[in-house]
Amino acid sequence: MNGRIGLAEKISTYAILSALAVAMVTPFLLMISISLASDSTAVQMRFTLIPQEFEVSNYVRVFTTPTIDLGRHILNSLIIVVGSMIGQVLVSSFVAYGFARFHAPGKNVLFLILLSTMMIPGAVTLIPQFALYRALGWLGTFAPLIVPNFFGGAFNIFLIRQFIVRLPVELDEAAKIDGVGPIGIFRFIIFPLIRPIAVAVAIFTFQFNWSWFLEPLIYLQNADMMPLAVAVRTLSAVTSAGAMPMWNLVMVASMLLTIPMLLVFFFGQKYVFEANISGGSAGVK
Amino acid sequence: MDVPAHLMSEARVERGKGRRLNARHRESLWFYLIISPWLVGLLLLLAGPMVYSIYLSFTDWNLFNAPEWVGLDNYVRLFTRDRNFGLALGNTFYYTLLYVPLNIVISLAVAYLLNKRLRGMRFFRTVIYLPYVVPVVATTMVFRWIFAPTNGQLNSLLALFGVVGPAWLLDPGWVKPALVIMSLWGMGSSVVFLLAGMQGIPTEMYEAAAIDGAGERQRFFNITLPMLSPVIFFNMIMSIISSLQTFTQIYILNADPNTPNNAINMIIPYLFDNAFRFNKMGYASAIAWVLFLIIFVFTLLVIRSSSVWVFYESEMKK
Repeated sequence: MNGRIGLAEKISTYAILSALAVAMVTPFLLMISISLASDSTAVQMRFTLIPQEFEVSNYVRVFTTPTIDLGRHILNSLIIVVGSMIGQVLVSSFVAYGFARFHAPGKNVLFLILLSTMMIPGAVTLIPQFALYRALGWLGTFAPLIVPNFFGGAFNIFLIRQFIVRLPVELDEAAKIDGVGPIGIFRFIIFPLIRPIAVAVAIFTFQFNWSWFLEPLIYLQNADMMPLAVAVRTLSAVTSAGAMPMWNLVMVASMLLTIPMLLVFFFGQKYVFEANISGGSAGVK
Repeated sequence: MDVPAHLMSEARVERGKGRRLNARHRESLWFYLIISPWLVGLLLLLAGPMVYSIYLSFTDWNLFNAPEWVGLDNYVRLFTRDRNFGLALGNTFYYTLLYVPLNIVISLAVAYLLNKRLRGMRFFRTVIYLPYVVPVVATTMVFRWIFAPTNGQLNSLLALFGVVGPAWLLDPGWVKPALVIMSLWGMGSSVVFLLAGMQGIPTEMYEAAAIDGAGERQRFFNITLPMLSPVIFFNMIMSIISSLQTFTQIYILNADPNTPNNAINMIIPYLFDNAFRFNKMGYASAIAWVLFLIIFVFTLLVIRSSSVWVFYESEMKK
């Protein structure tokens, strides 16, 4: 972009970026190393950045030890994540279709309200929502974490709406002439076409819910029902007996929490970067 | 078929009018039908709870008895008698005011480097983005060891330069900068946003500037920065809102008896404690509204100031 790049500039750029890359990778490496450390190393807390031990059995123990049983917590996380993804993708795209393709009095005001709700801090509704779910008898179930997704999410609706607006209206009109109703147009024309942005929304929903911490902590109450993210912190907490947490196993749990996020990123980055650009930076211009 | 042509067309116009009105009504109906899930959610999960929360903030409520009206008591207590709230407020501001500007300046510098036309930039971009997807819970677990006073990686690095590093997470004076460093590890998302913005700047602008004899530095400050300001603006608002609501790291670290709790507690963890540990729902609601006002004021300040420093291309065309 700035013409030819001189040798000195090349070297200094690579030097800075390499140093930065090392800094970025170090925590990952340390996480792997601690997760492979033996119990005696963990008790002495003598961890090294480069793995010296390879206790792969740590990765089995977290599933077979009944008091840890990460399998159950992973299942809990999956129930929350999959339920939320179904709700967000279906309902947010349906509502977005309404905002993108229909005219009605009050629509612009509603769209402005939709945008401004994104700025409202969740803290303001935390306590009344807790009271609501308590009154409904939903505490100790996954319902408070899954059901709200079936009302759509403001950011996702906005993102998908921006995408639908750019699809040619002629497609809808051709279908309308053939006698297809509004629901049919969504089902057969729009929904198949918004696949890229729907995938991005599914990814965002996965990322958010997989690492979600505060609300599960409040609503689930029962330790057996906690998702993996909360279980990691439970593992790391100092017990009342004063026993030290097993840091190697805590780090195995952290790895199991991180790996799906990395996988989703690698397989979905194409969709995420596109959605970020159309919804984030370009959206405010 | 025997109807005269002009009559037929008239009838068609009449019918068409009726149908168009009807169609318009029907379209409105469809609109409200289709968006109804969101509308119901808005009323049930946002507007309703917000109103209820304002009411609760003027009451004393322990979840088990009926809420008892106490007027402005909760707010008065927050600002006059609650030393812990003052600490939480101060820590939150300290963290936000350190993190937000640093995040923007460093992300900008990194995006600038990544925007150079050199080989391997995709690799660097990916490596720098990756930490962003790591859940905060996992980040906090591993940074405890990065920050360990004697054999942690950060202090080992500092030792190479002859610097004796502090105890970071265990030191009341250093725990907040440590949290900022931890958050900066996840700056990848801002970097990618800024980089996308930089790549959207037309090359002709740089070429024209180069012909006029503008140097590297001038081009950065007179082209790149103004053209990027809308992206920076957006980033800034989002990161202010999220850092004022920091919770997970604090909650996890607070469970460790060695953590200097007073130096680390922030608004949301304090709200959480009041609501879900001490059952002081009314008091916690008041904290929520104070936070809401703080976020509102911060956002407003950024938006107000934006007319001075945010540059929109469309304005130039006017």
